[in-house]
Amino acid sequence: MNSIEKKLLELNKIEDIQQRSHWMNSLHPLGKLLISVIYILCVTSFDKYDIVHLILMSVYIIFTFAIGELSFKEGIYRMRLILPLLIFVGIFNPFLDKNIVLIAGYEVRGGIVSMLTLVVKGVYTVLAVYALIATTPIDDICYALRIIKIPKIIVIVIMLIYRYIDVMSKEADRIFTSYRLRAPGQKGIAYKYWGALVGQWLLRSMDRAQIVYESMTLRGFRGDFIPSKKSVRALDVIYPIVWIAIFMIIRFAVTG
Amino acid sequence: MKTGVSGELLNISGLSFSYEKDKEVLKDIDLKAVDGESIALVGANGIGKSTLMKLMVGLYLDFSGDITVAGHKMCAANLDHIREHIGYVFQDSDSQLFLSTVEDDVAFGPRNYGLSEEEVEQRVAKALGQVGIENLRKSKTYKLSGGEKKLASIATILSMEPDIVIMDEPSVALDPRNRRNLIMVLKDIRGLKIIASHDLDFVMNTCERTILLDDATIVADGATKDILGNEALLQAHGL
Repeated sequence: MNSIEKKLLELNKIEDIQQRSHWMNSLHPLGKLLISVIYILCVTSFDKYDIVHLILMSVYIIFTFAIGELSFKEGIYRMRLILPLLIFVGIFNPFLDKNIVLIAGYEVRGGIVSMLTLVVKGVYTVLAVYALIATTPIDDICYALRIIKIPKIIVIVIMLIYRYIDVMSKEADRIFTSYRLRAPGQKGIAYKYWGALVGQWLLRSMDRAQIVYESMTLRGFRGDFIPSKKSVRALDVIYPIVWIAIFMIIRFAVTG
Repeated sequence: MKTGVSGELLNISGLSFSYEKDKEVLKDIDLKAVDGESIALVGANGIGKSTLMKLMVGLYLDFSGDITVAGHKMCAANLDHIREHIGYVFQDSDSQLFLSTVEDDVAFGPRNYGLSEEEVEQRVAKALGQVGIENLRKSKTYKLSGGEKKLASIATILSMEPDIVIMDEPSVALDPRNRRNLIMVLKDIRGLKIIASHDLDFVMNTCERTILLDDATIVADGATKDILGNEALLQAHGL
């Protein structure tokens, strides 16, 4: 299996998780979106030395992954790109920040604490986003974005990018597979073919994207996706209120 | 949506079209079709079958001549009306199915035309029932087999209850069982059906009228059994 196929499988796997019949998946998308946004705002607003209270914010991640039956392994796997970046950004803190701070009664160099805080914030943020997308299909997230009055054009661009990522990945997969089958023993694509292959990839992706667009317009698409309206149950209101209250308590009451 | 228009649903007269200047893909096409007909468009590869069908649904508007669909003259201002009455099933089902689940895709058209959720629900159930894939309602579109994708594609069009259904090579890449199933499904679809196909057995089983295209124009138009039974005619035009 080549790397493009693996990426497509990952995408399909997330879509499978989104379609589970779990109560967390069936929650109203607006509530889940608000929880995620407020969680990220709260997490990122903690002081750079306040790692002790920041750890309390893990309660949401632990609850969502445990009760929502999401795989921590998958969540951590999603961080493989962002984690090195976070570490790179924070790696110089221990050398530059020589303040001494008290953590649970122990004196620790401020740079080390701030680096850890940065990494923890990054981990929480990525896991919160993963929890959102694993329990909410892109159409529902866009529906929630429209409710909170995000401009239509932005929401449609998000939806179309999502659709066309699939189209472009499948085209890339076909081209790469076709190349590989006729170039045994080669690692990757020979330099001299890159121009032709990338050109073909773009042209074919555009062709397919054009057909998809025609298919949409022939079924009444006039520049706006019309989602099915979601009914609001008591749990859809209570669930976000409880979580947002917990975040506020941790952020403002406990932290002081 | 059903127009209530009966009788003539499609009238094409003097239609000419070219992608490039001085290179006509279609030349002086005249064609009339009435409600209830099943018409096959046959011809060699690249002869203009798909182009003609795309003109019928208004994907290209820079043609000369006249096209009238369900009483509406083809022009930019009438496109919304026309597309309410005509459905197009693409050859590549992967391009037709662009939403995550079969249910969402089948509901896409009715929702765009502003139907209530109850009505959308009814349309989805009816369309899936017509093609016999009610069990696939919640399925992910990427997980369907080729035959299932084709049926789901047809359901996405049937949910709009069009007067005219146009299909581009519907039997391509289907195994014999799915092909037989598709033939049964097509026989049950009401309204005017126009099917482009190279599969002459399939045409024989589904269409009573056949139009043969060659050299940018219609070279034969008549009963399927007469046209497909004329081996010399077919061979002379690349079939």
